[in-house]
Amino acid sequence: MLFLALKQLFTQKKQSLLALLGIVLGTAAYVVISGIMLGFQLYIVDQLINNDAHVKISAKETYVTPESVEENLYSEHQIINWKVLPSGRRDNTSIYHPQGWFERLESHPAVMSYSPQIIAQVIARRGKSSVGASIIGVNPEKQMSVTNIKDYIIQGKFTDIGHTGNKIIVGDALLNKMGGAIGENILLSVGKGNPIPFKVVGIFHLGIKGIDDTLIYGALLDIQQLNSTPSQINSISIKLFDIELALPLATQWSETSIDKVESWEQANANFLSIFKMQDIVRNSMTISITVVACFGIYNILNMLVNQKKREIAILRSIGYETSDIRNLFVIQGIILGFIGGLAGLVIGFLICVYLSTMEAGTGLSAKGGTMLVSFEIMIYVKAFLLAFIASLIAGYLPARAASKMTPIEIIRNEAE
Amino acid sequence: MSILTQNISKSFGKPAIKVLKDINLEIKNGEFISLSGKSGSGKSTLLYILSTLDTPSTGVLTLDDKDTSKIEESDLHKFRNLKMGFVFQFHYLLPELTALENVLMPARKTNQELLLEEKAKTILNEFGLIDKHTKKPSQLSGGEQQRVSIARSLIMEPEYIFADEPTGNLDSGNGKLVMDIFKKINKTRGTTVVYVTHDIEFANLAERKIYLKDGKIVNNL
Repeated sequence: MLFLALKQLFTQKKQSLLALLGIVLGTAAYVVISGIMLGFQLYIVDQLINNDAHVKISAKETYVTPESVEENLYSEHQIINWKVLPSGRRDNTSIYHPQGWFERLESHPAVMSYSPQIIAQVIARRGKSSVGASIIGVNPEKQMSVTNIKDYIIQGKFTDIGHTGNKIIVGDALLNKMGGAIGENILLSVGKGNPIPFKVVGIFHLGIKGIDDTLIYGALLDIQQLNSTPSQINSISIKLFDIELALPLATQWSETSIDKVESWEQANANFLSIFKMQDIVRNSMTISITVVACFGIYNILNMLVNQKKREIAILRSIGYETSDIRNLFVIQGIILGFIGGLAGLVIGFLICVYLSTMEAGTGLSAKGGTMLVSFEIMIYVKAFLLAFIASLIAGYLPARAASKMTPIEIIRNEAE
Repeated sequence: MSILTQNISKSFGKPAIKVLKDINLEIKNGEFISLSGKSGSGKSTLLYILSTLDTPSTGVLTLDDKDTSKIEESDLHKFRNLKMGFVFQFHYLLPELTALENVLMPARKTNQELLLEEKAKTILNEFGLIDKHTKKPSQLSGGEQQRVSIARSLIMEPEYIFADEPTGNLDSGNGKLVMDIFKKINKTRGTTVVYVTHDIEFANLAERKIYLKDGKIVNNL
């Protein structure tokens, strides 16, 4: 029936083109919407993974409890009646035995590199402006081996912070907030400690507002001194050879340590749940578009079936079976789905290529500032399958109706 | 080879209206038969039952000594493809195909279209249509379209040709031409031809004339 199906499709050019247009638009819409949304997600994931760590070890926050106070201050024979129960968070939480971690990480085959850090909350002051910020004290070489922060430095070099000398690299939004510039001094203080001047030697821009307007990098020794916690670290960032191992390794290490060990997925669960929601919205939207497009195919094939009743009658009377009649219209649905799907992929791809050259305008990336569009092969596979299967169903329904028509019913209706 | 009907009746609608009443008829191989009668007499219904396109409400239709109600649907399709040819009043050609492609449609069912292409051209030549074999139905006159549909009914060399008002949509000249073709097919090929007509002149061309009135055969000469 392929011969006749092709003949009918090519003869009814206008109808075929209309049906094709629907499926082309549906498929292209899926490719473009998915490309934009996934591109954005991949960018964010890239930022989360490559600017932080695959696995992060941090000091577990501990809280004061009556038991912990009793254990340290009283013998087990004494009976304590508390008037006010002791409570609150312990200060200066740090990783319990960092050297043990270093030895473990250096010998682990899955670990590519690691970077010890001290993270503190500071007040940054310049002139009359004062801003709350987070500061990360790092060894610059080790930090660069774990993250790709050096790619996002827009002024200076990451290594400029050195190993001591009170030099810092600041997020561009934070520096703008304070009206500062490279080469100037900013006063940093932790808690009630005295403000210490730090020189701005570089500026970074990650494109994530929450980081760019709150984060400062400094040398590990300087920040330990600022925080009054010499030799202590409260975080270790780890880069693995295989990112897929992040979650199982973090789970395994977490079970055998008193420190908190989190994979990047666990640390950014909120982002990932937003992505899941985006995926649901994206899929629902594009499926809706494709379903509407397939209604076009259904309507056109249905109309074709009605127009072709005479032909169906003659085919049945000259020996063609119900399955032949069904196949005649199913094949047309398949051809429309195949050609429409392919054309939709090409058009969607071209639109994505065009979009990827457009200025994003939001300063999303330090790497050129163009739209972030994903060209992942699965988008195209899914779009094509969606178009093809939907067209198959849209073609099958009128085809089944056509195959149920008996020649005599058609001839009688024609005669009436 | 023969077609035999035993007490065939056919009813339509609710309440049931009997359009055929106890028809007993035997059609022998090689006959040239006309079915005529007034509108609503049941002549077309009888033709469709004889050709297995429709089924009787009661009674038995026997094809080559086989009760058609006991023949598998797929075998009936095969039977219609190989042993029966159909010609309708409205031609029913496939508009997207050329005259030659239309003639070859029954052969396409059994993948013999290439094998029978020359034969199709020969038939079209016989009917004076060889120079129009690449034309589509919309480019042919009514008489030419009907001749193409007769050519299509002949391509598989059927034993029976059933025609429902084959001249009903044609002028008298083309109608006569079509009837001459049927007569020639019957004489030269020995094909059994059964046709419905309300035209007395064309009905009288048949060797055996069956006249129906109110669903009953009133004349079988």
